[in-house]
Amino acid sequence: MDTQWPRYEVFEKERPDWPHRNAGSVHAPDAEMALENARDVFVRRPHCLSLWVAPASEIFSMTAEQLAGFDWRSVPAGPDSEPYLVFQKQTQRAAETFVVHVGEVEARSHAEAMSHAVEKFGSGGVFVWWVCPARAVTRSEESDVSAMFAPSESKPYRQPHFYKVIAQLREIKSKASE
Amino acid sequence: MCANILPTDITLASQNADPAKLAAFEARITRGEKIEPGDWMPAEYRKQLVRMISQHAHSEYVGMLPEGSWITRAPNLRQKLVLIAKVQDEGGHGQYLYHAAETLGATREEMIEALLNGRAKYSSIFNYPPLTWADMGMIGWLVDGAAIKNQTMLAHCSYGPYSRAMVRICAEESFHNKQGKEMIYRYALGTPKQKAMAQDALNRWWWPTLMMFGPHDSDSPNTPQLARWGIKTKSNDELRQEFVDETIAEAHLVGLTIPDPDLRYDEASGHWLIGKIDWDEFWRVVNGDGPCNKERLAARNKAHDDGQWVREALAAYAHKSKSAI
Amino acid sequence: MNSAALAAKLLALADDEYILGHRDAEWTGHAPILEEDIAFANIAQDEIGHAVLWYNALKDLNGDDPDRLVFFRESSGWRNAQFVELPKGDWAFTMVRQYLFDAAELVRLAETVNSAHRAVAEVSEKIRPEEMYHYRHTSNWVKRLGLGTEESHRRMQAALDSLWPRALQLFAPLPNEDELIAAGIFPAPDKLRAAWEGATRSWLTDSGLTIPTITASAADREQHTEHLAALLAEMQEVARLEPPDVKW
Repeated sequence: MDTQWPRYEVFEKERPDWPHRNAGSVHAPDAEMALENARDVFVRRPHCLSLWVAPASEIFSMTAEQLAGFDWRSVPAGPDSEPYLVFQKQTQRAAETFVVHVGEVEARSHAEAMSHAVEKFGSGGVFVWWVCPARAVTRSEESDVSAMFAPSESKPYRQPHFYKVIAQLREIKSKASE
Repeated sequence: MCANILPTDITLASQNADPAKLAAFEARITRGEKIEPGDWMPAEYRKQLVRMISQHAHSEYVGMLPEGSWITRAPNLRQKLVLIAKVQDEGGHGQYLYHAAETLGATREEMIEALLNGRAKYSSIFNYPPLTWADMGMIGWLVDGAAIKNQTMLAHCSYGPYSRAMVRICAEESFHNKQGKEMIYRYALGTPKQKAMAQDALNRWWWPTLMMFGPHDSDSPNTPQLARWGIKTKSNDELRQEFVDETIAEAHLVGLTIPDPDLRYDEASGHWLIGKIDWDEFWRVVNGDGPCNKERLAARNKAHDDGQWVREALAAYAHKSKSAI
Repeated sequence: MNSAALAAKLLALADDEYILGHRDAEWTGHAPILEEDIAFANIAQDEIGHAVLWYNALKDLNGDDPDRLVFFRESSGWRNAQFVELPKGDWAFTMVRQYLFDAAELVRLAETVNSAHRAVAEVSEKIRPEEMYHYRHTSNWVKRLGLGTEESHRRMQAALDSLWPRALQLFAPLPNEDELIAAGIFPAPDKLRAAWEGATRSWLTDSGLTIPTITASAADREQHTEHLAALLAEMQEVARLEPPDVKW
């Protein structure tokens, strides 16, 4: 039986005033390699300031539609309380944006974290909720920025404006009209 | 992404067709809302998406091979870096797309297995061989140009993860198309040898590129359903026509000849009308009998088999470190 | 300063980076898992990018055109170590080579960022963060493969046995290099070798691998294996369809 390794969800922060937002996922054997794979898959181009990865199996997701019909009483809670990160999809307009980090709650299970998240952050205008225990999240360090993220700046040839095709065409046209 | 945490599987329980649910689902699409993983969706919507997205992912993964084979021969330092970055992006795009299919419950193990044993399909274009260096430019100009038409449409698709993958891919793909144009413009106006290479590449890639848009609308039974569900908002023939009109104008500008004796400009509609596409060839290639089908699958299988001990070793190490804690 | 000695040194650095980048790029599309196709293509671009920086520094010194050097030079003119020209082998061979190379780069760059020659210091400053990331990635791989399964351990040990003696060629002094050392432009190779061995021996041992004993001395950079000529023949095939001044 083949293994493609477990899946880790990836959260990327692109600007100082933006929250971490879900970029997609990577497959990796462990959290450290997940962080590295996230860098190589999602930071081929500038700009990234910070990356988080979390095992997909640790993320509890609910859409607004699921939330409407969910019976909270059916969910067992563990004995110990711990911090959970809360993410929301807040808009249907920004085509590239899925869930973004909005804050934290304390809870004894994923489902309890979800119910606290809804209470604390409000359910109006939220299309998808994610909660994930904070301990399951591996984060890049401030000191990683130069080695992990700055190198994408040295590869301008990955950007479309590196290629002067409009100028080429203009030159071709002017030669043709001579 | 939450199956092992939820006490009951909400998604599967609501899978049976229910007219009220279907109406509500279609109303959401009409309002322009995105359907997200976990939302109710008709079984057929899920099935069509898994089929389309995984085929699309396979196309990117297999698509690394033809261009990858020219990395060792790129004729200058700049072109070498550009080509590695381009093939790397194709791997990245495959990765984004496998992710989108995974949100619908498909696993990458299953999808890769279907690719390797020949059950899954991928774009027929990658079963044609690139024979000269000019093909690297022609693939960027034609094949990526055609792909962008399709991908720009799919960026508006009703399924959130597919649409987001496409937004990322379109932004990155624009470099692929431009570097191809840059090369072809240069070669078309370059030395006699370069010009001949560019024309020869156009002769070989023109018709297979037009086939990438798929069968004519009259022979494409899925299209109306996919349109109603906001997956494909333009038909195969519409996209093909847009591509033809734009590309022919550029080809003429740089003095290249489109290899189609029946090609004519229709004053009334303002469109270029192409000759007859050889659909027998299309189906032969799709069904496994193209020039490179066997070679492509063999290469993917070899990489997969050669990599098995590597994947196993890292899984074993992770398992050992976990039990050590 | 002896500018011929500096030119020879820059050429050796550039050729090492370039040939290794070329070998690394051969994995694009053929890596053990999709994520690593992407990761390794990145390392390949970094190494070729570093080669371009060193070739450009050489051009500023003696006017040699980088593309002409790469695409119109016979194998006898190349000054890369044999270590980088060997075929890519299996994933263990590739990973051990890349790891040993990255470690050698890091110890040298830690010194050359303070080079008395401005261009050398500037290029080193640009390259260093990327090499730091490579080292993080490849050292993690080495540990996991060294300690993973019986098979991965066996393959890693075989790769190390074959590569360790050849890696020492990276530290073999070039003719007249002592003048560059005296001028504070490049550090002494034996000092670098000691720092490199210090870092790699303990990591490799912790990764369950045994450092082989060395019997032969390192070849000089004018000697190549048969693999270089084959690599160049393929690599230069398209460029040589036209004279060197034709733009591709």
